[in-house]
Amino acid sequence: MDVREMLSSGVKNLVRHKLRTLLTMFGVIFGVAAVISMMSIGEGARRETLEQIRLLGTNNIRIKKAEKTVEQQENEETVSEGLCWQDARDLADKVPYASAVSPIKFIEAEVYLGAKRPEGIKVVGVNDMYDEITNARASSGRFISYLDEKTAARVCVLGSEVHREIFGIGEAIGKSLKIGEENFEVVGVMGQKNFKEGKTAAIKLRNINRDVYIPAATALKRFTDDDYPDQVEEIAVQVRNAAFVVPAAVLVRRVLERRHYGVKDYEVLIPDELLAQSQRTQRIFNIVMGSIAALSLLVGGIGIMNIMLATVTERTKEIGIRRALGASQRDILGQFLNETVLIAVSGGIIGILLGAGMALAINLFAKWDTVVSPISVLVSFGISGTVGVVFGLYPAQQAARKDPIVALRFE
Amino acid sequence: MLIDVQDMRRVYRMGDNEVAALKGVSLQIDYGEFVTIMGPSGSGKSTLMHILGCLDRPTTGRYLLDGTAAETLLDVEMSRLRNRKVGFIFQSFNLIPQLTVVENVELPLVYAAVPREERRDRAQKVLDAVGLGHRHEHRPTELSGGECQRVAIARSLVNAPPLILADEPTGNLDSATGIEILRIFEKLHQGGTTLVLVTHDPEVAKWSERVISMRDGVVERDTGSRKSAPRPAVTGTGWREEA
Repeated sequence: MDVREMLSSGVKNLVRHKLRTLLTMFGVIFGVAAVISMMSIGEGARRETLEQIRLLGTNNIRIKKAEKTVEQQENEETVSEGLCWQDARDLADKVPYASAVSPIKFIEAEVYLGAKRPEGIKVVGVNDMYDEITNARASSGRFISYLDEKTAARVCVLGSEVHREIFGIGEAIGKSLKIGEENFEVVGVMGQKNFKEGKTAAIKLRNINRDVYIPAATALKRFTDDDYPDQVEEIAVQVRNAAFVVPAAVLVRRVLERRHYGVKDYEVLIPDELLAQSQRTQRIFNIVMGSIAALSLLVGGIGIMNIMLATVTERTKEIGIRRALGASQRDILGQFLNETVLIAVSGGIIGILLGAGMALAINLFAKWDTVVSPISVLVSFGISGTVGVVFGLYPAQQAARKDPIVALRFE
Repeated sequence: MLIDVQDMRRVYRMGDNEVAALKGVSLQIDYGEFVTIMGPSGSGKSTLMHILGCLDRPTTGRYLLDGTAAETLLDVEMSRLRNRKVGFIFQSFNLIPQLTVVENVELPLVYAAVPREERRDRAQKVLDAVGLGHRHEHRPTELSGGECQRVAIARSLVNAPPLILADEPTGNLDSATGIEILRIFEKLHQGGTTLVLVTHDPEVAKWSERVISMRDGVVERDTGSRKSAPRPAVTGTGWREEA
């Protein structure tokens, strides 16, 4: 009996018992659907994290301002100004691995031109190296220059969305607009950057297409915070080579520790470390999900085996007849194994479709990124086939080992 | 010689007890013979039939079927031999109820790896020959007993085996239908098919030309071949062509 023959008779037999076949499949269907949807969530989160870390730059170090603890505030001896502009200059001087350093100062100010006041705009004070650090270039005009920074010029570079919302498709360069009370000249417009609002990733990023960049010196001069005149929110450090990120981070920490008199009012973030951390989390997630999926597939497999054992008994007479007509033990084994594998694999396929549907639903309703990777589909397919073979083998052996004479007498 | 059995014994183990179903049987059946094996239940005639049909192996002794020593074969080889050389007909028809009539008839060809189109063709021909050409898409449950047995006969003939083994083929049929079936056997016999019929009914035995009586695991009486005129040597049924 060749394979094609066996397949078609197997399919016929399963179609004949539609309900039973479907019920038998359910374990595998849900097991596989769980695998697919869980893996799609994991994969989506992984890609999102990667994307965001890529946006930060893998060979960058970020220093963020941290709120002082109560203890630090009470201790008069440890007066630190917080993260400030001079820190950035010091890091540029003292960390040889650093190829570029930029302070980042966020300003609460409205950006408008006449009646056009786009919402959710972030005004960011940076220096001339910021575009290189973040690998975000001006698509027209230029970025903030060294001279702008030196002279605290009132110039700005618009994010692509800001540009569109204020100037539409019109030319913006050379025009002036208002940031807070001050007039600023537009000198450049940034290129559009793909941005997705992260829900699951470890790091939250703002939409940089809604940024307006001004020189850091201008930001500190024109939008001075009277309590902390030199304070910045972040410092971005670009390291010459990804391999130097770790030693550079050691130096950065040492420089800052000295400058801040040991007060930890900042935190040093290394995207590479965040990546490793998120991968560890991811791995745990995968193991947990994998175990749950394996368990449900095990239950599914046992379900199939149970039904197949009952089927073998029920079809004893048929086995006897087929044996009398010339079926060998191997033919009978093949017939039943084939049916089990068919059930498992069809269940697997339905499960893959259901899982993909669930991934889509999760994406639509929970707004989580989900990605059904080809690998997860292949793995599920392979696993369901394996479940069929593993749990079909015993019932098929039972069928093949039946004495044909006894089987023929079975009523 | 189609069947050559030499000093065949078959012993069943029932726990610690050994029960001998056949206690040294020797017999020869030639091509084209119509033989009845008779005997009361427990005489060993069913065991003999199972061994002749390659469903079982003798404990000791030799069995040559169409020149092949059947007792030494592996399962795959024995199944192949059974498939090519033996056509079974049972008392309770033993059709698979889920399959249509024509699918049932095709089954031996499936295991003989005959291509699909040829299978359908050959099944159709034997069904026509037993007068059931019009019912091939029916299920066995929709047929009468006589029709079922004719399907079973068609199934036994479809692979053109040299030997047809029938186990009480009229046992589940009323006498009129039984005679109908026996007429088909007679026709097959005239066509050169070797028929071995197991029964306990002397009326049925009268249709055959040779009666082998079994009792307590041995051949009690063998009327011997009554063949008057020598037949041409026929391998295969040679029946399809005639029909």
